[in-house]
Amino acid sequence: MGADVSGCWQTHRMTGTDHTQSPVPFGRHRAQPSSFPHGHTLGDTRDDTGGMRQAGGPAKPFRCGIVPPYLLARLAEVDDPRFSAAAEAARKSLRVDDPIRSLRLGERRTTALPTLPVDAVPGVATRTISDAGHLERLPGRVVRVEGAPPVADVAVNEAYDGLGDTHELYWSQYLRDSIDGRGLPLDATVHYGREYDNAFWDGERMVFGDGDGEVFNRFTISLSVIAHELTHGVTQYSANLAYQGQSGALNESVSDVFGALVEQYAAGQDVQSASWLIGAGLFTEQVQGQALRSMRAPGTAYDDDVLGKDPQPDSMSGYIETEDDYGGVHLNSGIPNRAFYLVAEAIGGNAWEAAGQIWYDTITGPNLTTTSDFATFAAATATAAVARYGEGSTEHDAVLAGWDGVGLGVGPLQAAS
Amino acid sequence: MKVVVSRSGGIAGLRVTWDVQVDEQPDAASWMQFLEALPWDEAEDTVPAPDRYIYRIRCAPHEVVLAEPQVHGAWKDLIDRVRAASEQ
Repeated sequence: MGADVSGCWQTHRMTGTDHTQSPVPFGRHRAQPSSFPHGHTLGDTRDDTGGMRQAGGPAKPFRCGIVPPYLLARLAEVDDPRFSAAAEAARKSLRVDDPIRSLRLGERRTTALPTLPVDAVPGVATRTISDAGHLERLPGRVVRVEGAPPVADVAVNEAYDGLGDTHELYWSQYLRDSIDGRGLPLDATVHYGREYDNAFWDGERMVFGDGDGEVFNRFTISLSVIAHELTHGVTQYSANLAYQGQSGALNESVSDVFGALVEQYAAGQDVQSASWLIGAGLFTEQVQGQALRSMRAPGTAYDDDVLGKDPQPDSMSGYIETEDDYGGVHLNSGIPNRAFYLVAEAIGGNAWEAAGQIWYDTITGPNLTTTSDFATFAAATATAAVARYGEGSTEHDAVLAGWDGVGLGVGPLQAAS
Repeated sequence: MKVVVSRSGGIAGLRVTWDVQVDEQPDAASWMQFLEALPWDEAEDTVPAPDRYIYRIRCAPHEVVLAEPQVHGAWKDLIDRVRAASEQ
């Protein structure tokens, strides 16, 4: 496997057709360089007073499960005096975290109901939308809280409604109460940065840029993008797949899977009527493309003279080895994305039901580690299908065939184990 | 001397590259001074974060990889300068 796109350093600008090898300045008017946002380039870090500050605000590392329990346990057992401080810190962390870790272990059981905080109403979202005012500071000014009526700002309302739709799918279908399964408040910030062409999950909140208006519209325009970001939070609190290589591509794929499912659930679309697109509507009319990604047909979402062609592979034979983007996590996610589509298509009906349930059971179940690769994930979905629907069930067969369809055969023996 | 900035990642997973041929710039001496003062060997390891950008900056013999939250100060200035020069 492996088209190697690492080290593809081009010397010519805006001439390529494949964005993985081509520089792509985000301006549409090639003859009019003044159209580029020189005054406020993406990521402008000047604050209101004109002073410089740290881009992105204070760095916020992932706070959940950054040191896995097994590592803490090993550290805690170390006798070497050189590591006495670390060992004591690990023992302390294990003691402090134990109730939390126990809850999370319970949460990871596929049959466990979420443990609810005493002061929250189970299954009711607690949303807070903030406005960064085009700065790169978080969280920004609160502009809409749970239960408040719509405001004049469409991005605020899209974020509010999108978080609600996402919460609704997780609660109604999988009995998961919010990101952590325990009613964690849903916080989002809109209008982040100037002409910021991105949306992300920072470990605590979802953040949405407005786009540059030439290639990208505002990122709240797409429900699948909103649900994608919230699902990064769900993954962080469940399988916690490391954002690198194949586990990183799985992390991305899980966000795309539930991003698509939230959109389908909200629109009442079954497998056949759904678009299976991620980020539909995100590109402006100037871009020749439907969306960021297609789960049904990875590699076909766009084919544009400036952006190039959608480079996602749809099977292991096209797996991309690259140093970019933590090992191509947004590229190779096409492989498990299509596997999910094939499973859902084989089962038929609403994808958020059996297919979504199997994927949900997988990320909350006991058979993944933070560094699981595609093959391990595939085997875990087969195990989850057997556990919920039985050996040799339609769902089980669909899972085996789905992975086989992307070049990741899951043997019956592996599936049954 | 050439500086190449490549940005990958983001939810779109699009790679964007900007470059500048320093010798051809009208303020080449200023560029050289700026480049020599950068802390090439002090960049910390990146901490992966979902859908954030990641920057790879090459200026032979140097190369650094910076996660988006690490891009501030002189690195931010460099990226902005290369981008602006590249888009002219």
